[in-house]
Amino acid sequence: MGSNKKIQLLMVDDEVKFLKAITERLKLKFFEITSATNGEEAISAAKNGQFDVAVIDLQMPGIDGVKVLEILKKNHKYLEVLVLSGHATIESAVACTKLGAYKILEKPCDFDKLVEAIKEAYEIRLKKKFEYDQQRIKKIEALAFGQSPLGILKELAQMDED
Amino acid sequence: MSDAIDFMNMEGLKFFGRVNASISHELKNILAIISETVGFSNDLIDLTEQGEKLKLPLFKSCNESIVEEIQRGFDTIKQMNKFAHSVDVPIKETDLLETLMLSIKLSSFLSFASHVQITSQGEETKSVLTCPFLLQNLIYQILIFIYKSIGPDGQINIQLNSKKNDGTQILFSCPTQLSLDGFPTQKIQKIIAILGVELNMNEFLNELDIWIPNDSKKIIVLEKELQMYSYTEKSDNESSKNS
Repeated sequence: MGSNKKIQLLMVDDEVKFLKAITERLKLKFFEITSATNGEEAISAAKNGQFDVAVIDLQMPGIDGVKVLEILKKNHKYLEVLVLSGHATIESAVACTKLGAYKILEKPCDFDKLVEAIKEAYEIRLKKKFEYDQQRIKKIEALAFGQSPLGILKELAQMDED
Repeated sequence: MSDAIDFMNMEGLKFFGRVNASISHELKNILAIISETVGFSNDLIDLTEQGEKLKLPLFKSCNESIVEEIQRGFDTIKQMNKFAHSVDVPIKETDLLETLMLSIKLSSFLSFASHVQITSQGEETKSVLTCPFLLQNLIYQILIFIYKSIGPDGQINIQLNSKKNDGTQILFSCPTQLSLDGFPTQKIQKIIAILGVELNMNEFLNELDIWIPNDSKKIIVLEKELQMYSYTEKSDNESSKNS
């Protein structure tokens, strides 16, 4: 990570004390953290903020973690999601992987391993975003040939919607 | 083997597994909190060693949190132990308040559990001859149904009434809408039939109750069946030893 930009992290867990302790520790590792204690809060926070990585629990009251993962991945293309749960089963792990979870960690988890996994997830996000930006530049370059300025703007708007 | 004993064995095993899984999740959560809080305390010490002033209030709060979680762990293990021993004697004089409290506590480990408030009216000791393990299962299944109906923010008031001499009523009521669609489930109906208790529902008042008679003929029949079952089991074991 070359820049001084802090990794924007969304931490989701219904165990308030756990959330508080782990958030304090992660802050010391220079992460910028927003915490949510249930699925609804997490979805709303992700909608209003720009997060690089989300760490979510599976069993929560209301919307469960698997559904939260599905919604987050659907609505936020480049958000990487880690699952940190004491309730993971083989079935839920398979479901989470299919839905695009970067890694599934079991609670209690070694803190250094968690930090490492968050950094890896962030790098994956950067890579995906970079590849997307490269493709976008190529598309824009292609558009620039033989299009009127208005035509280019229309095509750009269409690309943004995609 | 009678149909009732067959059901009790199968359902009992499922219930035991489900409760044990929820207890293990609870213990994992407790250990995760302790692990992260100790980690944070160590981080604070590291910062102090690097020359920063010790953040004493944070450090104290970490220690308090650890003590609380250890206490929560002890309490969970205590409930686990009570639950494990509830299968020791299949039919016995059972303290209803204690059984109710244990079932509520065990169900509170579920992530979708609602808030439960309990009140008691009548005599202090409410003991009846019943199958404590199956009664716990019944209360647990009813609580799960209500939790799912009213959601994690909902409230359940439970009243134990033993004013009448012939039995005790456990009344479950909710201040908010309680939908009883699909209630009682087949499992609950079967448990009710085996225990010889009575179920009453009033969706209009958002409440339901179970009436547990002091002398249930069904329990006496069940006790005899269980005695026969354990006698047959003993004989089978002895004959397999001798062969």
